[in-house]
Amino acid sequence: MLVTIVLAIAVGSSPIPVYDVMTSLLSKIPGLENLFSFTHPSDWARTQSIIFGIRLPIVLLGALVGASLAVSGTCMQGLFRNPMADPFVIGISAGAALGAVIALALERVYTINATYVAPFFAFAGALGAVLLVYGISRVGGSVPVETLLLAGVAVAAFLSAVTSVVVYAYSGEVIRVFFWMAGSLGAAKWIDVMTVLPICVIGTILLFFFSRDLNGVVLGEETAQTLGIDVETTKKIILVISSLITASAVATSGTIGFVGLITPHIMRHFVGPDHRILIPSSAVAGGIFLIWCDAIARTIIEVPVAMITALFGAPFFIYLLLRRKRSM
Amino acid sequence: MLQVSDINFYYDTKRALENVTFTVEEGEFFGVIGPNGSGKTTLLRCVSGIFKPQSGTVHFSGSNLQNLSKRDVAKNVAMVPQSSSINFAFTALEIVMMGRNPHVSRFRMENQRDYKIAENAMKLTNTEHLAPRLISTLSGGEQQRVIIARALAQEPKLMLLDEPTVHLDISHQLGIMELIRKLNKDNGITIIAVFHDLNLAAQYCDRLMLMENGKVASIGNTSQVLTSENIRKAYHVNVLVKEHPLTSSLYMIPFSSIVQKPMTNEVNIHIICGGGSGAPLMKMLYDRGYNLTAGVLNVLDSDYEIAASLSIPTVEEAPFSQITKESYKRNLDFILNSNIVIVANALFGKGNLKNLEAAKTAADHNIPIILVESTPFAERNFAGKEGKALYDEIKKRATLTQKLEDVLNMIPIVNKRNE
Repeated sequence: MLVTIVLAIAVGSSPIPVYDVMTSLLSKIPGLENLFSFTHPSDWARTQSIIFGIRLPIVLLGALVGASLAVSGTCMQGLFRNPMADPFVIGISAGAALGAVIALALERVYTINATYVAPFFAFAGALGAVLLVYGISRVGGSVPVETLLLAGVAVAAFLSAVTSVVVYAYSGEVIRVFFWMAGSLGAAKWIDVMTVLPICVIGTILLFFFSRDLNGVVLGEETAQTLGIDVETTKKIILVISSLITASAVATSGTIGFVGLITPHIMRHFVGPDHRILIPSSAVAGGIFLIWCDAIARTIIEVPVAMITALFGAPFFIYLLLRRKRSM
Repeated sequence: MLQVSDINFYYDTKRALENVTFTVEEGEFFGVIGPNGSGKTTLLRCVSGIFKPQSGTVHFSGSNLQNLSKRDVAKNVAMVPQSSSINFAFTALEIVMMGRNPHVSRFRMENQRDYKIAENAMKLTNTEHLAPRLISTLSGGEQQRVIIARALAQEPKLMLLDEPTVHLDISHQLGIMELIRKLNKDNGITIIAVFHDLNLAAQYCDRLMLMENGKVASIGNTSQVLTSENIRKAYHVNVLVKEHPLTSSLYMIPFSSIVQKPMTNEVNIHIICGGGSGAPLMKMLYDRGYNLTAGVLNVLDSDYEIAASLSIPTVEEAPFSQITKESYKRNLDFILNSNIVIVANALFGKGNLKNLEAAKTAADHNIPIILVESTPFAERNFAGKEGKALYDEIKKRATLTQKLEDVLNMIPIVNKRNE
């Protein structure tokens, strides 16, 4: 993770030597301020401003957003007992985006600061979307893959349309908002990092405490009940927290898809399905994955990071569908 | 230990359980049987706390199940569900450790003791060697043992099993049943299990409850519940209930499903048979809806058992005894009330010679007789000249057939002669 952060800071449209990145970061640690205060290159001040002003918030936000989406995806897959679930696929991200856009629109009308308000609006939108999708796709006591995907796609499409309407109606900065909605870490500021950090960390820790319950739910809701798990309460809590961390991620960096889908799958392959290990390891892996996707997005082709995750994610998604088809 | 009082349960508006009341004592092996849709599984779900009955109460060791938390219920009551398809790649040990869930608080990890208990559970169920294997790679029987181990890890006082042997071959069925019996007898765990297989239920359960349309149809020890009468009412099949010669438990042999009796068949037929010669006849005619009587038959004769399980009125005689005067007379009453008498391809000796006499009397009263002679009488005659004389006399006046199937065609023809 640390290596990834250092390397990802180094790369970009104007590369910085890895050694410089390390010394710069280490010099910020109390007690080490003077350790590296020897001769600096002539453009040291510029390097410092790139590292701390631009790159570090991008990379840290990437880590937090990636972790949030991966943890949320892990919990959704467990909760729905459905390996296709993911905050993007089942419409949570679309709901959060709508909420965030409404906050931006309101900013123009009322004197509010969208940076602070957007996460709450996004959270409301995310929760609304997940309840809607869950309600539509629930058949009897379970949520079948087919109806979940269809309901998710339909709800996401509808919410995206509403989002577009809101954007056109209230925002002059259509291009900027669309760039944000496309899913990008490029505009990351320290304030974004500070907004996402507590939500991501606290949310993940709370979800971790429910990981044994989630293990039970994976075996089936009835089995979970006979193992002493209050399934309905567990479901509600996990849905709310997952929506919350997704919403904070979306509010700062737009809708970035497939991180929540791929990461749990790959980690399940390495560490097994036990959520007590799966949740933390997915958080770390999701962060690393998104940082690298963003590094690619910044250096090789200048595009929003969501396009890179989609380039990896969509084929993976199709692969999962094919494998499912074969097993039926 | 468990008191279920007057519970009713509805799926939406459809009533699945109706005023179900029963008690299970500590240490019992209690079986629940009944046809599909009779409410067995629903009942287990109510007892395990998954479902909340709309009315009535379930008391466990004196406390109302609804006042206990899910966790407290799970510390005492474990459930082995009907099918446990697990798609996620858990190992057998991980599955068993999940049984410790109710005992481990949210904010602590499982300790050495929890692992010890899981290990013991796997020892008891003979699944230790499977611990590191993925659950999805195990056979049906192995999976079921692992699930039972998980239930054991809950350290329950009561274990509920929903058709624990379904989908298993006969040797695994017996293996699982022996395991459950061991847990019941050696570890003192009270068992409530739902069964489809009546013979397994009869072999292992102390008491049984038969359910029908969400109601308790019968409850008691196996011989009280497993009567051909009860089974016919609940399952609409005819079964022969016998005692297993080795285990002395009851077992059932199904032999026909009940066909609606046609209203028009008002023909009374008396069958003289014995030693299995009448069984196919009785079943065939019973299915067509004829009013049958039979006799005289010795109790323990296989024909007697068939007649009894079809509820055919029969004149009976003590096992291995000669036909007495009284039985003969009662048999004659049946015969004189019937439209047709059928004499089956039975063996005749001194003991049942009176049955031939009765048939001859029928002929004397101009009652049509159908004589089934699949094998020559000489081979079946153990009553000497007396028997031959009677038989020949009957044969002269009877309609003869070698094939059983012809009897059906003959009945309407022969019956016409009555009119």
